[in-house]
Amino acid sequence: MNITPRQVEWLVIALLVGLVALVFQQAATDMAAQGIAPGGPYDNAAAYPKTVAVVLGLLIAAQAAVQLFGAAPPQDEDGGVPLRKLVRPAALIFIFGLYLGTLPLLGYHVATPLMLGALMVLCGLRRPLAIALPALLVSFGAAYVFEAWLKIVLPGGLFHLNMVW
Amino acid sequence: MFADALLAGLDLFLTPQSMLLTVLGVVFGLVIGALPGLGPLMGIVLMLPFAVSLPPVAAMGFLIAIAVGGSCGGSVSAILLRIPGTPLAAATLFDGYPMAQKGRAADAIGIAISASALGGLFGGVVLILTAPLLASFASNFAPPEYTMLALTGLIAIAVVSEGSLLKGLITGAIGLLIATIGTDEFSTGYRFTFGIFDMLNGFHIVAIVVGIFAISEMASQVMGGGLNEKPDVKAVRPGFRTVWMTLKHWKNLLRSSTIGAAFGALPGVGGTISSFSAYAVAKALSKPEEGYGAGAEGGVVATESANNATVGGALVPTLALGIPGEAATAVLIGAMLILGFFPGPALFANQPDIAGGVFLVYLFSNVALLFVGILATPVFVWVLKLKKSYLIPVVLLLCAVGTFALQSSVFDLRVMLGFGLLGILLRGAGYPLAPLVIGVILGPLLENNLRRSLLISREGYWIFLDRPVSATLVVINLLLIGGATFVTMRSLRRRRQAPLVARTNDAGR
Repeated sequence: MNITPRQVEWLVIALLVGLVALVFQQAATDMAAQGIAPGGPYDNAAAYPKTVAVVLGLLIAAQAAVQLFGAAPPQDEDGGVPLRKLVRPAALIFIFGLYLGTLPLLGYHVATPLMLGALMVLCGLRRPLAIALPALLVSFGAAYVFEAWLKIVLPGGLFHLNMVW
Repeated sequence: MFADALLAGLDLFLTPQSMLLTVLGVVFGLVIGALPGLGPLMGIVLMLPFAVSLPPVAAMGFLIAIAVGGSCGGSVSAILLRIPGTPLAAATLFDGYPMAQKGRAADAIGIAISASALGGLFGGVVLILTAPLLASFASNFAPPEYTMLALTGLIAIAVVSEGSLLKGLITGAIGLLIATIGTDEFSTGYRFTFGIFDMLNGFHIVAIVVGIFAISEMASQVMGGGLNEKPDVKAVRPGFRTVWMTLKHWKNLLRSSTIGAAFGALPGVGGTISSFSAYAVAKALSKPEEGYGAGAEGGVVATESANNATVGGALVPTLALGIPGEAATAVLIGAMLILGFFPGPALFANQPDIAGGVFLVYLFSNVALLFVGILATPVFVWVLKLKKSYLIPVVLLLCAVGTFALQSSVFDLRVMLGFGLLGILLRGAGYPLAPLVIGVILGPLLENNLRRSLLISREGYWIFLDRPVSATLVVINLLLIGGATFVTMRSLRRRRQAPLVARTNDAGR
């Protein structure tokens, strides 16, 4: 199964339509409740985002018309990108997201070498030493720069693992 | 006027920290520029979190030096591997790679570095001479002029961005909307915060920039494959005699640097267009025996001097008006705002020491480029052997830790990831990303000045046509949109007709 640039273009259009709708929904509910939706240029904080949303809506309509009536993008003629080709970037984002999510729990010194190692495996490295050594060195090197030089306290996690440099 | 700014900045520039960081910035820029797929913008984005914890001039020296080194670094891989490290160096391979094939790789790299440094210095002279004048002229600007100027910057970048005009304008508008998130400066009301405390100040610009450019670029690199390839490159060691070889092409050098600096000052044009234009002009004016396209020294001189002079030119509207010319200068403006100084006429009037300091670090970064670049070329060549399978995890780690370090905020990390996903989606659909960041930077300037204009106006929106400069900018904006719409419609019509012509030809066979 393939995904074509035109399909991604429609996905973006759907997302943007949602964004425009959200601007009007917020102006009519939350901003109106705060009393910042009506009034002149000073008090009306909703007028500018609504104006930008209107412009965005018109641009989206024009882009949708181009997609409907214009020629297909050149990549579409090749059949697009196979879904299996997206597995690696999706896995990269998943590992990175997991790292960011677990960073406050596991702490920098546990989560970072694991994330680096996992990404190296994802990128095709297989020799354990070629993965473990750079992962540990890079992790500690970055920690040294941030904690010892820039005096930034990195997340210690549940175990409160922080280096005393 | 020029000497005053330079003298005022001397104290801030002549510190070991500023000078050392400028040299380090050049080294980092050269390394990141040499690595295919990365470039000066990525270098600035990755080092932004470090820079914002430094004193203003040292920080700007570090970031500007990355831009200077990165603009030149791409030529190393273009000459040795026939793969431009950055799009800026794409035109350099026309003559740089044939020179390497003829056994003159060291000369080609030496000439590229020398031309970059000399072109950059020319751009610096243009910056020092024109930025204070432009700032002085702009000091008479009122909110209507600033409103239109912000719109001109945004529209110009959307028009010139790769991809379609519509897509550029759409991402610009998304940027403007993102800039409205948080507390409204006028009414102090909350917009699009959804009751989340962390959103009261909006999204941090660094989290947005790192996510939208760096994360999406890494996903794109992983998809591109070749993660464990190790190119076979031989060590090269250029000498300082290449400076004289470059100076022999002084007319070409001056002409190309002028093209670069002038194009750099125009919003949206950037180094790639200026280097291709300088190459085209140099080739058109060359003699046949110079052999352009087959290893002419003049070809390397033209492209490299132009793309580095562009950096100086791009800093003119950035410093004098606070209007970024492209994505890298938009990020530099973001850095200036975080560091607590506001680019524009007020910078030259109230903080001439900062403006002068920035001029001096820019000049010094080009001098450093000449020496560091030529002496450390073997290191940059070695860097080309780095596997992407190591590079990608390290870049992602720098993104995460750098963004966290800004405010020790886990929320910023989530914002970064969210913008990374948005960047991947927009890239996949062929939307340019630079207008989004420029929209975020220019958003507050546009909204605040628009509302101030309407507050002082007795005739509503007519105020924009009542004032000559503002009215001129309105006309420029309309011409930009009208011209780009015409070009877009014509290319769409051609694209629709192309399959029809192909089918007719097939039927005729």
